[in-house]
Amino acid sequence: MSKVPVSFEWLSGCSGCELSVVDMHEKLLRILDAVEIVRLPILADVKDYPKATLGIITGGLRTEHDVHCAHEMRKSCDLILAFGICAVYGGPQGSGYAHTLRELEDAAYRKNPTTVTNLVPDQGVPKLLEEGVRPIDSEISVDMYLPGCPPHPYYVFEALSAVVGGREPEFGNENVCFRCDRKMSHSDVATLRRVHEGPMDRQTCFLSQGILCMGSASLDRCLAPCPTRGAPCTGCAGPSENVILEPNRDIRTEIADRMSRMTKIPRNDIMREIELRSKTYYAYAMASPVFRQKPTFLLRKWIQPEGGAR
Amino acid sequence: MTRTIEINPVTRIEGHAKVHIEVADDGKVEAAYMHVLEYRGFEKIVEGMQVELMPTLTSRICGTCPHAHHLVSSKTLDRVFSVQPPRAAVMLRELLNCGSYLHSHGVHFFALAGPDLLLGLDAPAAKRNIMGLLEAAPELATKALRLRSIGQKIAEIVGGRGTHPITCVAGGMSSPITAEQHNTLKRLTTEALELTKVALAAGKDALAKNEALLNILPLPVYNMGTVKDGNLDLFDGAIRVQRSDGAVALEFDAADYAKHIFEEALPYSYSKQVFVKDPGGEPAAYRVGPLARINCADAIDTPLANAELQEFKSKWGKPCKLTVLNHLARLIEMMYVAEKAVALVADDEIASPEVRTQPTAKPRSAIAHVEAPRGVLIHDYTVDGDGIVQKANFIVATQQNISSINASVKAAARQFWGKPDDELLNGIEFAIRCYDPCLSCSTHQIGRMPLDVTITRSGRVERRVSRS
Repeated sequence: MSKVPVSFEWLSGCSGCELSVVDMHEKLLRILDAVEIVRLPILADVKDYPKATLGIITGGLRTEHDVHCAHEMRKSCDLILAFGICAVYGGPQGSGYAHTLRELEDAAYRKNPTTVTNLVPDQGVPKLLEEGVRPIDSEISVDMYLPGCPPHPYYVFEALSAVVGGREPEFGNENVCFRCDRKMSHSDVATLRRVHEGPMDRQTCFLSQGILCMGSASLDRCLAPCPTRGAPCTGCAGPSENVILEPNRDIRTEIADRMSRMTKIPRNDIMREIELRSKTYYAYAMASPVFRQKPTFLLRKWIQPEGGAR
Repeated sequence: MTRTIEINPVTRIEGHAKVHIEVADDGKVEAAYMHVLEYRGFEKIVEGMQVELMPTLTSRICGTCPHAHHLVSSKTLDRVFSVQPPRAAVMLRELLNCGSYLHSHGVHFFALAGPDLLLGLDAPAAKRNIMGLLEAAPELATKALRLRSIGQKIAEIVGGRGTHPITCVAGGMSSPITAEQHNTLKRLTTEALELTKVALAAGKDALAKNEALLNILPLPVYNMGTVKDGNLDLFDGAIRVQRSDGAVALEFDAADYAKHIFEEALPYSYSKQVFVKDPGGEPAAYRVGPLARINCADAIDTPLANAELQEFKSKWGKPCKLTVLNHLARLIEMMYVAEKAVALVADDEIASPEVRTQPTAKPRSAIAHVEAPRGVLIHDYTVDGDGIVQKANFIVATQQNISSINASVKAAARQFWGKPDDELLNGIEFAIRCYDPCLSCSTHQIGRMPLDVTITRSGRVERRVSRS
């Protein structure tokens, strides 16, 4: 069988997705037997865009150069896989959506506590997109999506094996709770508390304990390491299928409904807390139209000083 | 009259960059520098977020050393909540750091820079990579990949995930390790130590065969690294600043970083550069990372690595100025963390269920540091009484090396000037890779490093060199 040519491109991201490919460990060799990597800037010295069957793009669109590279990949590849939260939803740097470009530049260059200069780089560097980070499908058509920050090597292996083998991947669109072994239970907890406040029970659902956990509104592309190891889910693989597909469902309504039924915390308190800290709870996917197109998504308003966030 | 060369993209580094070279009429390289093309904006992004969630969010600054960001962030939280983690938690965090080094240094030496040294700068571009190395030296390459895998597996067991770990929290760890995991860690760390011996021997051998390469990039600059009682420490201690003549200029706690270092933005790069204020003189450029740390440390508290360190110092000077020896320093550090990891898991307390001290104090602003694989990493959080981040500042390793990287790029451009384009390109990239620059980190601020060299004469672009 001839090897499938695969091309990688890395836009605005952190390299964690590339490492998730390497972290297939021994299984990586099985993938390498079936594919020919024709481009991989982090590991090899090929700098143009060779033709490939599968193009894997990690990272979101931050600069005009990123936009150019995305189009080069689309032109040179038959199939495009958006790999990782940044390519699919914009990723954590997409949280810049909450601010103007000027504010982001100020924090790093003009009003930074240890920076003595007052200039923003503008020579020989690609222009930053004024509107902030965008997912890659805002610019090019995408054939397949694999969110995750990064996607767990388990999903990477299954996704790549499926694409190379010309079949559908054998995993569904469950949320993180599907993999979590904590027990949901009704409780008399009446107020929300934060993860550092007071001891937590290791076997009980965080929501039952009054602690916000994004698991029930987030897609599982991670095998649920956070709740398994004592930390609430932060939603780093993006929203669950329910939130994506239903215009009237949102992270905050999903969690507020569930949590208010399991505890004595009023639904509105939960809604308000998530809105106040929406930069945290929507940190990985706020740059995506999945949220921006929801008529009830008012993040920029929620975080205004009069909204109480700061 | 000058001309400019541009390398775009620089490959086999973690991030995106291009290089600019200005050449005078007589062919002399006048200026050379690297443009860092990416900017992400984390200082602003974290404003308004709950400080206790910083360890998982800030690890996203870098996918290669997320563990370092995760660790320094949790150390900062300990200070925010005035809480001392139990001993077992500190041991687990240190073990996570050891795994991180084996992984990160492993990726760099064998997959990114190793092909240059083990296959030669004149090897064909299509083969000068890890795949080429697997063909040319399969046994060594397989062992090297195994060593990196072990590092990441240790990180996954302790940190909950390999990339972007999640277990470090204010006051310790969110979960202990099980007896079964403890046994696995014993097996993995023992195997890692044996593999670091093989790696170090292979690295020394490759460097000896490339004697001519070693001397091409000397750079007399200040060094910065963390020491505890003079010993190398990659997790905690005082930040030592050493002058280029080897004298110690100062030692300080991370909390005082703003008194001692300052940043300057550059018009042509999204990465800022950093300088240290020498109390006895002018502000100075300095290096961080393996060579700087090895230079700053008087000794290492594990026997095998210490023997290597002392041999290194007697052979290459105190301090060693040869940029290329960053690669050897990296291998010595891998041996050190493997020895350290073996010692940590040999102590049964590491599997204690007591891994968290419950925070009770009111949050306050705090600063902490850790030695990331690429150098000193500082997180600084300003919080309000509710523990909401009002401001954040990050000093990351690679940005502290930017001025030295530029000096080395210029030296390499002069060294390889007149050679065929491919050798010139790779010579410059070789210089950059000595620093193992991680541009996702240094540009946590906003934006990206594949190499494009532009050559200008009188400000006019004369030609561009990139591989096709």
